[in-house]
Amino acid sequence: MQVKEFKIKWGMVIDIDKCTGCGACMVGCQVENNIAPMTKKDPYNYVQALTWDRDDAANKLKVLTWLTVYELSNGAAFPNHETAYLPRPCMQCGNPACVPVCPVVATEKNEEGGIVSQIYPRCIGCRYCMAACPYHARYFNWWDPIWPEGMDKGLSPSVSVRPRGVVEKCNFCHSRYLDAKNKARQDGGDPMNLPDGAYNTACADICPTKAITFGDLNNPEHKVHELAKSKNAFRLLEKLGLAPQVYYMSEREWVRKQGDNYNADGGDHGAPSNSHG
Amino acid sequence: MDSKLFPEGTQRCSFGQYLIWMAALTGIFLWGLYAAVLVLYNGIGTTGLDNYFGFGAWITFDLAVIALGAGAFFTGLLKYILKIKQLEKIINLTVVVGFCCYAGAMLVLVLDVGQPTRAWFGYWHPNVHSMLTEVIFCITCYLTVLIIEFVPLILEQKQLNKIPFIHALAHNMHINMALFAGIGAFLSTFHQGSLGGMYGVLIGRPFAFREGFFIWPWTFFLFVLSAVGSGPVFTVLIATLMEKITGKKLVDFKTKALMGKIAGSMLCVYMFFKILDTWAWANGYLPSVGLTFDDMFYGFIYGKWLMWTEIVLCGVVPAIMLVTPSIRNRPGLLYTAAILDCIGVSLNRYIFTVQTIAFPAMPFDSWQKYYPNWVEYATSIMIIAFGFIVLSLAYRYLPLFPQERKLNYQSGE
Amino acid sequence: MSVARRAFIQMSVGATVGILFTPTVWTALDDVSIWTQNWPWIPKLTYGEAKSLPTVSKMCESGCAVKVRTVAGQAFGTEGNTDNLLSGGGICPLCANGVQVMNSPSRIKAPMLNGKEISWDDAKALVSEKLAAAGSNVAVISGDQTGTVNEVFSGLLVNQGSDAFYSMPSDLQKADKAWTDLMGGSGQIGYDMENADVVLLAGADALESWGPTVANKKAFASNENGTFIFAGPVQTRTASVTSKWVPVPAEGMAAFVLGITYYVLQAGKSVPAADFDQFKAMVMRGYTPAKVEAATGVKADVMAEIAKQLLSADSPVVVPGGSVAANTAAFALNLLLGGAMKVLPEFGKAVETAMTRSEMLKQDILKGVSADVLLVYEANPFYVLPEKIKAGFTVAFDSVNTETTAAADLVLPTPHSYERYDDLASPYGVAVATYSLGTPVSKPTLNVMNAADFVLGLTDLGFESFQEVLEAKVAAVGADIDELAEGSAYVLEESADVSGVTLAANVLGKAAIPVKGNGAVALAPYTLLNVGTANQATTPNAPSTISNNQLIGDNLVVMMASVTAKKLGVDVGSKVKLSGGNGECEALVQVFEGVLPGVVAAPLGMGHTVGDEFSKGKGDNVYKILTVSSEAAAGASTWAGSTVNVAKI
Repeated sequence: MQVKEFKIKWGMVIDIDKCTGCGACMVGCQVENNIAPMTKKDPYNYVQALTWDRDDAANKLKVLTWLTVYELSNGAAFPNHETAYLPRPCMQCGNPACVPVCPVVATEKNEEGGIVSQIYPRCIGCRYCMAACPYHARYFNWWDPIWPEGMDKGLSPSVSVRPRGVVEKCNFCHSRYLDAKNKARQDGGDPMNLPDGAYNTACADICPTKAITFGDLNNPEHKVHELAKSKNAFRLLEKLGLAPQVYYMSEREWVRKQGDNYNADGGDHGAPSNSHG
Repeated sequence: MDSKLFPEGTQRCSFGQYLIWMAALTGIFLWGLYAAVLVLYNGIGTTGLDNYFGFGAWITFDLAVIALGAGAFFTGLLKYILKIKQLEKIINLTVVVGFCCYAGAMLVLVLDVGQPTRAWFGYWHPNVHSMLTEVIFCITCYLTVLIIEFVPLILEQKQLNKIPFIHALAHNMHINMALFAGIGAFLSTFHQGSLGGMYGVLIGRPFAFREGFFIWPWTFFLFVLSAVGSGPVFTVLIATLMEKITGKKLVDFKTKALMGKIAGSMLCVYMFFKILDTWAWANGYLPSVGLTFDDMFYGFIYGKWLMWTEIVLCGVVPAIMLVTPSIRNRPGLLYTAAILDCIGVSLNRYIFTVQTIAFPAMPFDSWQKYYPNWVEYATSIMIIAFGFIVLSLAYRYLPLFPQERKLNYQSGE
Repeated sequence: MSVARRAFIQMSVGATVGILFTPTVWTALDDVSIWTQNWPWIPKLTYGEAKSLPTVSKMCESGCAVKVRTVAGQAFGTEGNTDNLLSGGGICPLCANGVQVMNSPSRIKAPMLNGKEISWDDAKALVSEKLAAAGSNVAVISGDQTGTVNEVFSGLLVNQGSDAFYSMPSDLQKADKAWTDLMGGSGQIGYDMENADVVLLAGADALESWGPTVANKKAFASNENGTFIFAGPVQTRTASVTSKWVPVPAEGMAAFVLGITYYVLQAGKSVPAADFDQFKAMVMRGYTPAKVEAATGVKADVMAEIAKQLLSADSPVVVPGGSVAANTAAFALNLLLGGAMKVLPEFGKAVETAMTRSEMLKQDILKGVSADVLLVYEANPFYVLPEKIKAGFTVAFDSVNTETTAAADLVLPTPHSYERYDDLASPYGVAVATYSLGTPVSKPTLNVMNAADFVLGLTDLGFESFQEVLEAKVAAVGADIDELAEGSAYVLEESADVSGVTLAANVLGKAAIPVKGNGAVALAPYTLLNVGTANQATTPNAPSTISNNQLIGDNLVVMMASVTAKKLGVDVGSKVKLSGGNGECEALVQVFEGVLPGVVAAPLGMGHTVGDEFSKGKGDNVYKILTVSSEAAAGASTWAGSTVNVAKI
């Protein structure tokens, strides 16, 4: 497999030294992308009422969040312990593990910009892509999406609601990309050369510490272009060759080392004891 | 009561006894069906599957029954294409077992995919790069072939066969059976392989990823070999189980031993390559991505003992037992080897399904445990009950075992 | 009849091809493909003109400056307000979910008297009657720290002849106690974290839950060269990004700050305060590094190193959290360092007779509230300290159901932040006095009334409506109402007078001595905004952000270092009962090495017994096991120094 290159390459650089793990990005993402809050009860389903409850958000293994913040630990005991938070959106890999495995072409990496798409009405829900993705960036709708009464009124107009039984994932708020391109066309700009900031994701927008920087990795006028080249920048699991379009940076060496496996090279990888959420 | 329907010259248990047996099986089947309804109506959230284990008991079950059902295509290949005459004594059973395994796998897949009504999108929007597309093509086509192979057996039912048209139809289908056996062998080989390929291509999953030949990773070939190395003896085990239940001799031991020999030979070839593959993976690929063999295992439920059990106890041991004539020709040891062999291939499918996705590729992530819940067990057991029901019907009313009359009523054994 | 082989094949192929030539297959496939995409229970989206309207959100303690995104007039999302210095584009996880809370089924739909719906007129008549009967025995508890609505409530109290205005326990109150009562200052303390070069967060979890969190984070992010140090018993989220975490027990924070002050005094720093000499003598004698190390366990060289950093900085600042003593010590140190601590003037009042902000903070709710008529405004005292509240008749103003609305006799629904006029004046901790105005951006759909409007109908304060009060407030502030309505904040770059401020030497010497309860381990309660605050439970989309370090299933999780776990004989996943204060909590144990040995860290804000499915029955209420003790010397009550006993169950 080869890394698929585009003229425009949307990417993120996430500064772990700035992320406090507050969760605003995850909430902002759910609101932007019409991800239903998870509820135990399904008032519309009698069979459900006869059996046991659905999973709520406390079950981290069934929760649906396109963006997840992982807690990292350096594994040391008190007082040498250090901790860090790592938000994980979809990596929009240059050589995605998920795209070639989809039997029905419900996910593609074809559009200029390099965002890996997910076509919900075509997805059959086989979850092969989830098995393929080592970043756990893909989520399955285990249950029907249910907004408590009244909350379905306040839905984002730009993202369709997915039914139960399909896989979904972060798409860098793709509708915002379309909006930015349309706006550029209307304003006489070049939709293929958007200025830095014209297209930004909800998580990057909402982050109070501005830990997430978003832009075109190929465009020297975009901040991410330089940030991605910084000496503290790294990508997750680079050795697997998936070529993510999301970069991380940290001045802390232990954090950088947790971005990949170094066991066989004699590197130590600490004893990870992490929960996530 | 229904004795007119029995195969020519055979005796069966009383209708009442049969009814009790069938009622018990139906009861189990309905319990599974209830679980299936829950899955279809409430959603797959009902199961023990989760974000880390998108594949679980169902996929393991599918892969295992498909591997074990390989007896059908491989025996068909040997009988119809390579003309090994002796295999005709068991060929009908291999077809029925194969049909049960494949139909069962299809039923489980209907539950396992989130949008079963879109399952046909595999044909509508096929992704030719996906091993799963290959699986969808082959599994559906091959099930069709199995049905075509099964139909003449039904048509040969004593009463049905009296109708001239049906007689002629069955006859014609029989004549063309070599063609279908050939197609079946081709389809099934490919899809046993593509099931293995499904895991081997996972570049993001170091536990499963393998280099390979052309577009096929080594697991493609390993899955084919392991299927043909176990499918034939699975049929033998089924035949033996039916003999125990019915109290009749249905297949002569010579044929069973031949099946054992065939499986054993294939298993030897498989084990040779499997060990080679595992060694190369542990010493070549894993270090290249910064991992060690030890990293791939964790605690008890993901311990190394699983792999050693699969490769040594349920791989090398039955392989030696089956290729050694003095061991193979003793029924008890043949069956023991066959059981070990079948456990080994099932274990292989489990490890490739669950351990592959349990291994946390990201160093800061942790191993998660997967426990199937009763819904997954119940639906899987439903499939087994379905198999039993089909076999019970087939045994009672269809001429399944050509040797039955000779072995039980003529030679005076 | 005989069928030849050829005929058989011909028939099969013919039948197949024949069917394919009919439209049946294709129509069926097409139908299925359409039918499988359209489930009736999938909500339909609303399309129309998209807008982004500025307002303020009062869900978190300090309030957030936000923009509410609407489509065809329907609010759907919340984003930051780049034009307002409180936001800079960011918002907190609670306010990020504002629209969802506004649309939540747990909103209160109409005035309720003991569970029965009544009309606003009846409610007004009833409360008027109760107030008349109660005379001066009326109290108010407000959950709002920054709004002019407090002026209206305090105006009512003044008219009734009462001074019983209570605020919920807050850092603002402790800082005010330290600054105005003990040190004789005026105005409100602020911290310029954006321009400081060394920031010592002495117990202030500033990047997660303390003060104007979003503004703090913005300051942290834009302060590229500043050094941030966090001191506290738990390696909080703030500590995960600061350069250093100094483990300090909560009750030892004041002593720790004085231990640093020792070095600063030693370096010759002084301040023209009347009691400087007394202060210096007190510190040099009573808070030598050796003594502080013995009392708090913090190594002398650690304090020396921090003192060195603060002394060599151009503009250092110490930001306190916790007890009144810790606040006093930090303010004294800041005065000595002369760095980035600011003193903000209070804006002019709209309601003439109303109390000042400082006056509103004088009553100590931890000592208990007792009144004939109690008015509770968007606060949840029946969740935080139920046994402290005694009232003959309780009126709860809130937009959603809480423990307090459940306990109240009369419940009066308020509009959600996005549906009403509101304001946000200088949240505690901001570096400059700021004023933001909130205007309705979404039409109320329920039978609600702004609490201030209701109160204005009860008593004569010279205003007909709250909107008029706000207009008067804006005029008093000196801001332009149109600019405010467009979302920008009015900023007053003035400083309050600090002459005459003392260092509270006589009080601090005693108040800074660490006092701990007698339980087996110290309890370090902490707040995470996504889990919720004292007044605001977690929101619909926030539970997915709550980690397994706070909640597993429906179980509260407490964290401790492995040595503590070993000492207590518990391990990861052990179920324990924590007892302290007046109650007990059940929790699961998580080992987290970022907790001071001998300390158990527990998240506040869970274990609600009333509320929506996202908060009710989730975890346990840690407020139950907090011990209220008296900071005798400082004349205040505190939860600091709470200890608990831990029993495995």
